Amino acid sequence: MLNTKSIGILGVVIACGTLAAVVLRAAAAIKITDPTSVVMIVNRDSNDISFMDIKTHKMVGSVFLGNNVNPHMVMMSPDGRYVVTGGTRANKAYIIDTATLQLVKVIPVDIAPEHLAFSPDGRWYYQGNPEGDSISVIDMVSLSKVKTIPGFREPLNVTFTPDGSKAYVGNYGAHWVGVVDVRRHELMKKIQIAEVPGFAKLDPERYLGDIKGINIAQFSPDGKYLYAADGDLGIVGVIDPREDKIVKTIRVGPNPWRIYMGHDGKYAITPNNGDQTISIIDIRSNKVAATLEAGPDMTGVNFAGGKAFVISSTSGFVYVYNMETLKPAGRLKIGVNIQLETATTDTRDEKIYLADSTEHAVVIIDAKTEAIEKVRNVGLFPWGTHIMDSKDNYCH
Amino acid sequence: MQRFRQGSCAVGLLLIATAVFGQTSAVNGRVANAKGGVVAGAEVLLLNLPSAPMPNMPNMRAAQPVKTARSGANGAFTLDQVPAGQYVLQVDAEGFERSSQEITVPSAQALSITLTQLDLPGAEAAASQAATDPQALLARIAELEKRVNELESTTVLSEPETRVKREETYIDTNSNIYDQPTPGAKKVVTYQRERVFRRQTINEKIEQAFADEKAKSVAVGVSAAVAAQGTVQTMGDQQEFNGHKYALASADITFAARVAQNTFFFADLVGLTGPPPDNEISGITLLNSFASRLVLQNQLNVREAWLRTELFRNRFSVIAGRVDLTNYFDRSTVANDEFTQFLSDALVNSPALGLPVNGMGLVGVYDPKNSWLFKAGFQQSSLQVDSLSDAAFTLYEVDHLMRPFSLPEGNYRVWYRHAGTHQAREVERPAAHGNSAGTSIDQKLTDQLTLFGRYGYGRVDIGRLHFYSGGFQVQKRFVVNPGDQWSLGYAQTVVPGFGRENLAEGYYNFRLSDKLRFSLHLTHVVEERPGQKTLGYFVPGVRFQASF
Repeated sequence: MLNTKSIGILGVVIACGTLAAVVLRAAAAIKITDPTSVVMIVNRDSNDISFMDIKTHKMVGSVFLGNNVNPHMVMMSPDGRYVVTGGTRANKAYIIDTATLQLVKVIPVDIAPEHLAFSPDGRWYYQGNPEGDSISVIDMVSLSKVKTIPGFREPLNVTFTPDGSKAYVGNYGAHWVGVVDVRRHELMKKIQIAEVPGFAKLDPERYLGDIKGINIAQFSPDGKYLYAADGDLGIVGVIDPREDKIVKTIRVGPNPWRIYMGHDGKYAITPNNGDQTISIIDIRSNKVAATLEAGPDMTGVNFAGGKAFVISSTSGFVYVYNMETLKPAGRLKIGVNIQLETATTDTRDEKIYLADSTEHAVVIIDAKTEAIEKVRNVGLFPWGTHIMDSKDNYCH
Repeated sequence: MQRFRQGSCAVGLLLIATAVFGQTSAVNGRVANAKGGVVAGAEVLLLNLPSAPMPNMPNMRAAQPVKTARSGANGAFTLDQVPAGQYVLQVDAEGFERSSQEITVPSAQALSITLTQLDLPGAEAAASQAATDPQALLARIAELEKRVNELESTTVLSEPETRVKREETYIDTNSNIYDQPTPGAKKVVTYQRERVFRRQTINEKIEQAFADEKAKSVAVGVSAAVAAQGTVQTMGDQQEFNGHKYALASADITFAARVAQNTFFFADLVGLTGPPPDNEISGITLLNSFASRLVLQNQLNVREAWLRTELFRNRFSVIAGRVDLTNYFDRSTVANDEFTQFLSDALVNSPALGLPVNGMGLVGVYDPKNSWLFKAGFQQSSLQVDSLSDAAFTLYEVDHLMRPFSLPEGNYRVWYRHAGTHQAREVERPAAHGNSAGTSIDQKLTDQLTLFGRYGYGRVDIGRLHFYSGGFQVQKRFVVNPGDQWSLGYAQTVVPGFGRENLAEGYYNFRLSDKLRFSLHLTHVVEERPGQKTLGYFVPGVRFQASF
């Protein structure tokens, strides 16, 4: 039982501790106090992660990762403490302290790390290594790699279940989704999206030459089902995560790049690079609600202001669709002779931050007015953007 | 960004937790480098463990430390009065990687952690640090050798790439250039070279070189199709060609190239050979639509050769050259292509459009990329003329994409043809002779089932023509292979005073591969002529089509 004097001493100690903490943090030159206030930009050629203030569109700072790192995708930990990225050419994962913008850890992983994900509790950082056919598991408490999960085929994207018990891995070099037991960090199941058609033997160049498989298995907004598009098969498979089985397949256009979930829980979109269309899927009925003309080399879809914005990488256009009427709503010309990459949407679903790699710029699109603002010199060859808590955080 | 001090060392932590104050404990430790030397001034933070996802609370995200301290001159630190529980102990010192570990308080167990150097290739401080320390220099050389080996095996030391960029600048009367709008300066567009430093693997370089070469070269495509048909008479007096067999082969060679930023060239050379059933069956429309553009057998003909350019932010396209105007107008999505859909011309084109031979023409298409599309064009309608004034017609069309009654998308078109000047009759079929108009739709009922329909009315050289057709196409369901499709269609063409034609066709198209298709067709046609007995035929057929 504490007496009054002890409580007094305790109070003084706590006050001093708090004061010391404030002084120490200030000494470490805190640059970001609110992790939701910045757009992260991953710059492949300047090998850095730069940070832009969402309100002012001014650059807050950047973190150099080392020569020849070629970072691919950036993401913030769920608690906002860390920013992580995989260095594709360096075969390493990089951990940055968000507040001070200091690189605090470099962790060797497998070959060509690209896409990544955090477990919902922030404890585990899964780094996909497409050329190593593996997932590196990084403990965000000890900031160390605790395991490498083998057995994948060009793993591109990782999706955790909302309770964090399982993770689903899209294999672009195969036609199955891997299910990982997050407690043991082991691949425990493979789910085939659909069978390769029997006539594939007539077209060996396509089916045996280069596989365009599954980019990602994406949860519906209600968390009940996962959707995975297979490029070669032109099919979206619907997975019931309770039993980890396919409950429906939906035929979309040829060569769907991946599936992108709308924010209202009604529709999802696959950009079909095989015929330059998009398929809009009604995820309540699991049927294609519309197939609409789009552009070449589509690399991403963002949802904002009741519209879908489809990025056509090589044409310099962003195609716009009204998600109420499911009809085309024009297209935005971003530039000529440029290359567009991927984008993120702010948490208010008002603005889209699009990486414009060859102009070393980020293009900010106002979803309502469709006005465009270019912020230049964000770094060399920006490859993607990320905003904490955005519903459209993705990479190629 | 702050440069990190370089050096190879280790931090050793000795943590001793002792109960000193009720339910709280002190956590003591020591920070040292690899040689046992102390590291003074290291920042020590005690943090709560990560927990379940936090709600979206701006400014509340960053984890606040429970306790903080700095190592003293002897490397020691103390965190006092730490409540019992599990924490993350985090130690930062300049030039070192972060030490982060989960600890339990209180604990009598001493912990020792070794950290690796924060290796940051490219940081200038690295070289200067190594230069003053021979051991560090040797270690760095070894590290560099290792890295060079990695680089040689995975990357190519590429020279800077050169890109030409379009720039908007501002020039004043003294020819001074400004990057931003400046009073007295006007905006001009210029082009300038830009160096881009990329690190690419050898594979990436090769792929890019091929892609660049392909973009600059002329793309050649080849398409070949063979349609074999036969006749089985079902109505009327026995005709001598009952049971005859026919085949028509078509080969196309196409050339496509980009000649400027938004300007493209396209040419299609076609050769046709073989007798179609239409040589013997005298219908109002063609039973093999391949023959609709047949001019000369066994000779290579230029079907199309045009330049296309895009203007006004790529919203307006102009196509000029030798064109087939019907390729741009009345384009049904499911009944428009004789190579992959129906064979009968009545289910490919509207007879009210006429059967003009391809010729010099111009097409303008305004596509705002919303649900509307506007087209206008004119084309030479006869080859035996001295000038376009002698034989040319114009076409206008408005397309609208709709979703009536919450159905999937449907395309609705209205077109008008102005006959213009007189045209000679090129084929033994009704040729448009006056103005005509028509409409067509293709409406999806589901993603698998699409309905289509056409109506056309106009003057042809044998009278007034009424035409309508309709049918449906099925895909994705009730098919053998996933890419197969099948369809049924019916068309009626009436020219009062000349005759009536009722035609029905069904086909199943096997998509054997991306480049090879095979389809089975069955057509029944009934020809009625005033004062003559009605004739009817079954026309079964097969079609192979390959394209590269």
